[in-house]
Amino acid sequence: MSVETISGEEYSVTYNDNTQSIKFDGSMRLRTSEEYAPINDLLLKAHDATPAESLLTLDFSSLKFLNSSGINIVSRFVIAARKQAHLQLKVIGNQDIYWQQKSLTNLQRLWTAVQIDIQ
Amino acid sequence: MAQSTSTSQIFGHWEAVTAVPTTTMSLDAAQLSAHWRRNSLSSDYWAAYAALHIPETVPAGWLRRDDVSYVLSYLLNELFENCAKFSAGPELAVHFQAWLLDERMVFQLTNHIKPQGERPFITLIEELLNGDPDELYFQKLEANAEQDLGGSGLGYLTLIKDYGIQFGFRFQRASGESTAVTVQAHVNLREPS
Ligand SMILES: Nc1ncnc2c1ncn2[C@@H]1O[C@H](COP(=O)(O)OP(=O)(O)O)[C@@H](O)[C@H]1O
Ligand SMILES: [Mg+2]
Repeated sequence: MSVETISGEEYSVTYNDNTQSIKFDGSMRLRTSEEYAPINDLLLKAHDATPAESLLTLDFSSLKFLNSSGINIVSRFVIAARKQAHLQLKVIGNQDIYWQQKSLTNLQRLWTAVQIDIQ
Repeated sequence: MAQSTSTSQIFGHWEAVTAVPTTTMSLDAAQLSAHWRRNSLSSDYWAAYAALHIPETVPAGWLRRDDVSYVLSYLLNELFENCAKFSAGPELAVHFQAWLLDERMVFQLTNHIKPQGERPFITLIEELLNGDPDELYFQKLEANAEQDLGGSGLGYLTLIKDYGIQFGFRFQRASGESTAVTVQAHVNLREPS
């Protein structure tokens, strides 16, 4: 069992392989996809470590802000997971954070198998 | 549809707002770029400032103050980031203007580019204004997943598609080496249907 965290001045991303979940916190508005690379790598690592057909959860409920470059990274991950069809994906959102109500459901349109839970 | 005079070209939903802006601010694109967080700080500040324009309780069908604050933070951050990323040429001034009106808010950001940068940006604007935002959005994501082209090109698309924000663009030749680009964003204070 291990927990791995990437953090910047205003955000953190934590992968817990025991709960098979990745939790995003704070405000994540990095400049380029290169700057998002460590987060992308963590997502891919979590993907590969998740047993076949098992569930991986992306928890955005504490992420106040994500810029369009970040939306791109998350969307790319969902597309990659769809193409590999290795695991199941669940996305947790927060009703009180307006962008999550507006934009998280787009992930389901990229891959209809994604479960979206906006609490 | 492009309208043009000898000095300026206009695209999309452009309004010559006559009222005095509620707020204005001038910055420097190099300074925004040197400290990236200045983009989010500026946008969060003005978002919170503008959101106080919304009453504490609103009738059904109108955006709540907190929601407006979130929308504006996202919008302004995307616009400030663009000024920081794409300003070019000798002139690096960035001007911010906001009009807080009864049923809507209008925001304008002006930055400068080299005249040879006009064409590619205009081509992109025309694609954005003439296409179906939903279709363009998903096409772009699938294309980005195939190939990383550096920029995601999702800023304006998410704003149009997810938030119903309408954009106008104005290009003004300032000198032989510099063109002022003004992006105008219209935020409707009613819930998008
Ligand atoms: N303020 C601006 N000045 C010059 N060019 C811009 C500006 N805003 C946007 N652009 C051009 O339009 C493109 C699309 O912008 P956007 O939708 O925000 O996506 P991204 O910032 O990810 O490239 C940019 O890649 C850039 O070429
Ligand atoms: Mg952008």
